[in-house]
Amino acid sequence: MNLKEVTELLKEKGESHRIQSKMAGVKNKMERKSLWIDVKRDKLEEIVQTLVDNSTEFPHFCVASTSDMGETVEVIYHFTINYGKFLEEIQINFKVTIPKKDLWIPTLTKIIPGTLFSERELHEMMGIEIKGLKDTRHLFLTSDFPKGVYPWRRDETGPKDLNKLYEGWKQ
Amino acid sequence: MKYTVPIGPIHPALKEPILISCSVEGEKIIDVDVTASQNHRGIEWIGMNRNNPIQSLYVSERICGICNLCHPACLVMAVEEVADIDVPERAEYIRVIQGELERIHSHLLWAGVAAHELGFDTLLHYTWMVREKVMDLLEIVNGNRVTKAIMTYGGVRRDITTENIPKIREMITYYNHLFNKMATLFLEDKTIKMRTREIGILPKKEALELATTGPTTRASGVQKDVRQDTPYFAYPDLHIKALTPDMHTGKTVGDTYDRIVVRLLEVKQSVDIIEKSLDELPPGDILSEPKIPKILKKIKNSEGEAIARHEAPRGEDIHYVKLKEGNEHLYTWKVRAPTYSNIMAWKTMLLDHQIADIPIVAASIDPCMSCTNRVVLLDQGKEKVLTQTELRALSRKKTRGLS
Repeated sequence: MNLKEVTELLKEKGESHRIQSKMAGVKNKMERKSLWIDVKRDKLEEIVQTLVDNSTEFPHFCVASTSDMGETVEVIYHFTINYGKFLEEIQINFKVTIPKKDLWIPTLTKIIPGTLFSERELHEMMGIEIKGLKDTRHLFLTSDFPKGVYPWRRDETGPKDLNKLYEGWKQ
Repeated sequence: MKYTVPIGPIHPALKEPILISCSVEGEKIIDVDVTASQNHRGIEWIGMNRNNPIQSLYVSERICGICNLCHPACLVMAVEEVADIDVPERAEYIRVIQGELERIHSHLLWAGVAAHELGFDTLLHYTWMVREKVMDLLEIVNGNRVTKAIMTYGGVRRDITTENIPKIREMITYYNHLFNKMATLFLEDKTIKMRTREIGILPKKEALELATTGPTTRASGVQKDVRQDTPYFAYPDLHIKALTPDMHTGKTVGDTYDRIVVRLLEVKQSVDIIEKSLDELPPGDILSEPKIPKILKKIKNSEGEAIARHEAPRGEDIHYVKLKEGNEHLYTWKVRAPTYSNIMAWKTMLLDHQIADIPIVAASIDPCMSCTNRVVLLDQGKEKVLTQTELRALSRKKTRGLS
């Protein structure tokens, strides 16, 4: 599958899409391209499954990133497919926007087991409920980290002063 | 009877200290659980709330001491894409050279640690003596052995001067002469073979599903290398090929031995890349905009998002950056170091092996086991503490038992 075919395949399941590029190389100039697709929450599992079913090798899951946008929270799943050949890899990013009042997202661990750490991170850092994820322990934050504080939030639930969050901090 | 052997939690060399809890029956490992929540420094939070992008650049260099170039490399690439900052041709080549120098020293450091975990200390000292050559060169070229502060938005901060080029070429000759000797020492040794062949196997299917990266995934036969798949900097000119163990041994098993093979081959590959880059090094500027306030203003006025991936010694490193117009900081900064993905593979690798295999298998993904401080054996509520020295002694006893 080349970039055009992937875009054709995935754009119907997504809302909107764009291709971003940046030049690299000196004598052999080429474009590093990445495909960004906005996906509705209830279509996320379907679009990832489509990607798994249609790519020659199992898609590589890089990481999930998230931003607090005020009323909503953005979650982006970063994938790459077609790796293994010079210049043929495609970087695909699925962006899901979810309202803060209804903050959940389905788990992808059933399709891609390697998403486990990222989902546990989304859960503890942004306070997103991962529906279907059994292992919801903290990944990076300690078990005694205060409840209801989410380090990546930009609202009142974000940390005001990081040092004071732990018991026994020194002035 | 089931025991739990916790390994960790202190690993200062990682972004996150790690606790591996292994459930064992006798000597056999039956379950593995990884707990990362030991010491989170909140570096992403600092970049998103406190520092300006230039300050974040130097903080990112301190995410990891060993791969201190890969994180700034990713950050500059992502920001340059959003803010549309150009990079001079010479700087693109210098970035490649610096990245490959880092790979050589990181892989040699790892090879020494691996030999140490197996109890082959002569080889540890020899490998680290060999590694000194590249460390000295880093000091000559950059003025510093570890945190080099070479990356910046729109180029690099220090040039490779004409008087330093012969010194780099001398290093290339030194390593080219040594490669066969190193390969014989690591790959032909009977004891190393017995301790690593068929130990800690990661099949290709699991390597893909668990999203592993770098030498760990390549040793399982996945031809995945960011420098080849989505080249950046000056890599499109250099036609890199991902190295898999079958290129040297004729077969891919996906075990600890194969991970040694891949890393050794990559040292040779890096030396060749540096040589080729030196031949092609174009003249010219190393910075597109030397005035830092101007760069900061440009970043502040930019809006957008980008991902940047760099092949660090341990695997693919990825940064996601979102900039918002008028925001003094990076609006979102997500750092994913290669070990983050690779530690999920520990379970598959360790199951059904012996306690004495834990050090070398855990070290085989290059998480820097040297800082594991102690191990606690729980026996029906009674605790028996095994120090790192004792655990290593157990590993060595096994090696001696073999020969």
